[in-house]
Amino acid sequence: MSEVTKVLIANRGEIACRILRTLDRMAIPGVVVYHSVDADSPAVKTAAESVEIDGPTPVAAYLNVESIIAACKETGSDAVHPGFGFLAENPGFAQRLAEEGITFIGPQPSTIELMGNKVAARSFCMDNCFSLVSSVTEADAGEDFAECARKIGVPILIKAAVGGGGKGMHIVRELDGLDQAIQLAKGEALRSFGNNEVYAERYVEEPRHIEVQVMADHHGNVVHLGERECSIQRRFQKIIEESPAPNLTLELRQRICNTAVEIARKANYLNAGTVEFILAPDGKFYFLEMNTRLQVEHPVTEMVTGLDLVELQLRVARDEYLPLSQDEIKAKGHAIELRLYAEDPENDFLPATGTLLAYRLPAGKGVRIENGFAEGMQVSSAFDPMLAKLIVHGRDRNQAIERALKALDDTLILGVTTNIDYLARILSHPAYTSGQIHTGFIPKYGEDLSPPPLSEEQRNLLLAAAALNSREFTDPAFQVPEPYASLGDWRN
Amino acid sequence: MQRRINLLDVHYTVMVVGHPEERWLKVEAGEFQSVALKSMKDGQGIILLGEQNVRMKMAVKGETVYIRAFDRTFTLHIVNPVEQAAQETSGPGNTARAPMPGTVVEIDVAVGARVTKGQSMMTIESMKILTVITAPRDGEVVQVHFEPGATFGKNAALITLSKKEEE
Repeated sequence: MSEVTKVLIANRGEIACRILRTLDRMAIPGVVVYHSVDADSPAVKTAAESVEIDGPTPVAAYLNVESIIAACKETGSDAVHPGFGFLAENPGFAQRLAEEGITFIGPQPSTIELMGNKVAARSFCMDNCFSLVSSVTEADAGEDFAECARKIGVPILIKAAVGGGGKGMHIVRELDGLDQAIQLAKGEALRSFGNNEVYAERYVEEPRHIEVQVMADHHGNVVHLGERECSIQRRFQKIIEESPAPNLTLELRQRICNTAVEIARKANYLNAGTVEFILAPDGKFYFLEMNTRLQVEHPVTEMVTGLDLVELQLRVARDEYLPLSQDEIKAKGHAIELRLYAEDPENDFLPATGTLLAYRLPAGKGVRIENGFAEGMQVSSAFDPMLAKLIVHGRDRNQAIERALKALDDTLILGVTTNIDYLARILSHPAYTSGQIHTGFIPKYGEDLSPPPLSEEQRNLLLAAAALNSREFTDPAFQVPEPYASLGDWRN
Repeated sequence: MQRRINLLDVHYTVMVVGHPEERWLKVEAGEFQSVALKSMKDGQGIILLGEQNVRMKMAVKGETVYIRAFDRTFTLHIVNPVEQAAQETSGPGNTARAPMPGTVVEIDVAVGARVTKGQSMMTIESMKILTVITAPRDGEVVQVHFEPGATFGKNAALITLSKKEEE
């Protein structure tokens, strides 16, 4: 029987806040670790106990296994929740915790090793006869990798073998660009995940990204919590997710979900995980990868099933039985998650930095917010540029879209460029509202999604607002006392 | 008071005259119109310009004004006259600038090297994404502003090319 009496969260931002909430509800003390740049963050302020950790960069601090173990010992934490990103899919970290007698809230190290590595997971699925798109790995092809990749034929997708979040991914549409894409992908993979291994696969045009939430206990029970549609992506990273996936037949949905459960069962999976699939326009679906952790978009599943995934993770970590059988898990209504990013959609989604001069997030019926920032905080380039997640629930997809648009309208973020207006334009696009979505949605509808043009009147109103907000313009010292008398001089 | 205000990468000459009770505003060579900012509360106010009035959400930092209106969010920058003069004399196109804050990963060119338009000169990393900085035009590298590993802010000059040569 594993003890989980005090949990250290080896993460930051909104996910640290979200895990703290469930711990609090279950009356389990929570501890956060933080780098000094996060000292004023809501996670550190909310936590009853926190430990500062250090590293050559802020990211490196959160990747420092030994200092996290030291923090566990210092605070008497007997379990670690890794959240997502950072050490969440690092088998070495899970192994080190096991050696120290600390419970890792997630799968076994060997499962992370198998399913967390995309290359290993793909060969596992191939050996077990699950469908995959044609591909070649650097590990198998060695020096002939580029040559073998060439033979797949364009379009080719180059990906990092470990990690996620779209880092280290490049589409090659002309073979001339293949070598450069491989080099860039390897460089990004090394910097982001400490491993420069990449692989190449045939890129399916207009595919949908459908993933299935699975949950498994120590007693051989594996269930799925339905699917999520995550096709709205930019730079290979999801920005809008929803559950259930629109326009899927019941039969296809069941086949996809059941395949995910079979894969998890075959892998002796434990705790929460997500099996990702590529769904081609012809209805064929292929295993893409497995994420051996909680996902950023897990709240949409929680909103439709009414379950708390972090609670289930904690219970499973305590060797408890899953409290529900497959038949008892029912989805109600429709949920949509919007990721609010500090980035510029009008400039190739480049990350933006600055001070959050105004930061107001919405509230209301069917609205849930996961947030790690506060007004006045700096958004730096040290971490991923996600500010918050806005999740809405409605009785059906149309109502969920309506609520999402209302929630975005009620959101105000000034001082840092964000994607909130862009998200509203996606939600209002007819192809989105009719559920005609695929991972190429953003490039395909790029022009429709660009901002509405400004009329001359609107432009002048904006310039007027800027002038009247500027001290230089309104400072009495600069005023001309007799405007009419002076106007004539400026007319020409 | 006259200043240039940058909106969506275009500079507009804006002139405001009057006193706190009554002001007029003119954009470029347009007509003067009465202008006022009313009921400013919690960053929200009404802009009156001539016959029009629009509710906007606003925030200010230094000479930058952030506005949410017309289903968009805008950043307007009131150009400092000194900065403006500097930009006009150095001229654009000689310097490759950082599109975002980040770190230098690799430098492919040295001072004195001839580059052709589109040639990769430097690889930078920002939030784990690598971007190749390419030559904006043909020219000769006169200055490389950072060493590998160095960090820089948005718009920092990365590589400067020689002044445009006369044909």
